[in-house]
Amino acid sequence: MALIQVRLPPEATLSDALRLLGLSDEDADPDYGLVAIAPGLQVLRVTEEAARRVSRDHADVFSDPRIEPGDG
Amino acid sequence: MRVLIQLRPAPDVVASVIDPGVRSAVADVVADLPGVLLDEAFTPVAVPRPVSPHGDLLAPHQRPRFSMAPEDASVLVRGEISDGELSLRSALLSSSVREVAGVYADPYIQGHPTCGGDGPVGDWEEVRRLLHAYDLWSAGHDGEGVAVAIVDSGINADHIAARLGHDVTIDADRSWSPPGVNKTPGHYPVDHGSMCAFDALLAAPKATLLDIPILLSRQDGVDGLLSDAVAAYAHLNNVLRAMPADSRALVVSNSWGLFSPRMDFPPGHPGNYSDNPAHPFNVIVGSLEGAGADILFSAGNCGRDCPDRRCGFRDRTIVGANSHPDVLSVGGVDTRGERVGYSSQGPGRLSERKPDLCAYTHFAGSEAVGAADTGTSAACPVAAGVVAAVRTQRSAAELSPAQLRTLLHRTADDRSTVGFDHDYGYGVIDPPAILAALGRQNRSRAA
Repeated sequence: MALIQVRLPPEATLSDALRLLGLSDEDADPDYGLVAIAPGLQVLRVTEEAARRVSRDHADVFSDPRIEPGDG
Repeated sequence: MRVLIQLRPAPDVVASVIDPGVRSAVADVVADLPGVLLDEAFTPVAVPRPVSPHGDLLAPHQRPRFSMAPEDASVLVRGEISDGELSLRSALLSSSVREVAGVYADPYIQGHPTCGGDGPVGDWEEVRRLLHAYDLWSAGHDGEGVAVAIVDSGINADHIAARLGHDVTIDADRSWSPPGVNKTPGHYPVDHGSMCAFDALLAAPKATLLDIPILLSRQDGVDGLLSDAVAAYAHLNNVLRAMPADSRALVVSNSWGLFSPRMDFPPGHPGNYSDNPAHPFNVIVGSLEGAGADILFSAGNCGRDCPDRRCGFRDRTIVGANSHPDVLSVGGVDTRGERVGYSSQGPGRLSERKPDLCAYTHFAGSEAVGAADTGTSAACPVAAGVVAAVRTQRSAAELSPAQLRTLLHRTADDRSTVGFDHDYGYGVIDPPAILAALGRQNRSRAA
């Protein structure tokens, strides 16, 4: 998976983001949705293949690496 | 960093150091070395010089001879140079002080530090004593009314209550679970998250826990993605902003991190996480802290002495948000106050001065993950509990998260003699010193 960061109004939906990016419903994780990280700045979770198709004019693509608990 | 400094003083000075009938002091050998805190308690030691009749001092296959003649021998003294000035000071000393012949590391040579497979060192009741928890509580700092989010693998409240011997408060409404994970706050299998919750309650037994099991998420066969943490923090932002602005108190404990660079873009790539403050998770961490949350991260278990086998970063092992300038990065010490060998050392990737401080770990505690609560995973919630205890009577409006971090830095029990270092940060968290500082603030506010 990859994280796509977009700039949309606070009331924007996942459909709005997909439309902006030219992606289909299957490209994104609908359960994850569109998550606000700061005013006017949101992220969605998409497949890595979809991330490669996204135009950098509309969005920034970030890694979504695995995180793990630390054990001694 | 502790250093040994090799000096070549005048032969008569060397002669008195060599003379067993004379007790020499550091001041007899050298008056002052710029940037070095000389250890006055260390008796200067004369070191012989290797010599060879052929002029080749240390040629292989040739057994060297050694001369302790005053004109040949040198003298070692011991001192400490601030980590941040080490390279510069070492070079300056060798070039500008005539007597300095060399500056060498003086590493600790004690027995092996506590490592991952070692048994527990002390128990949770000892940790409470070391934290002076009873003094905190009698001063009204018991965590009551403070929300502590355990961002981990879920909490089992019954297990924790049975181990601690008192009730545990879970706020189900303000808890959250990632997509695909049933929301059953306080009722998850006993595991790492229960250990973290238990350890947070050592200093703040009346705190209200928010159960945020991001590590239970599963996407494409992988447990726990950073995007789940982004979504969890968006939820916590809403939780925090729903609190009255003048009484916000939210502590967020994170005992997890990125172990391997393989699933990340490389440093320098615009999509990278480990080194990139613009990554959405690093942005939302800053945003949540700015709104008034105290965010703590484990420093990691990639310390040089005995790193976790998963550690994939060769250097600067405190990565991503674990090294964020707006969080408290917590390293680990055992109940003897010694850094555990796996506790990651600084500098951090997003911020140079990491870890911030250390807290206790590797003690017999929750029994949620084995005989010992281990890792900086345990140290982080122990420190989070202390922060929650402070927050009982000081909201973020009265003492901002940044001011609280400064207070914790300033009051930490310094484990070196030069302030911050990359092993212990500013030192070991010290609740009595925190209480004393808060008392001074109270008195000055009343005056």
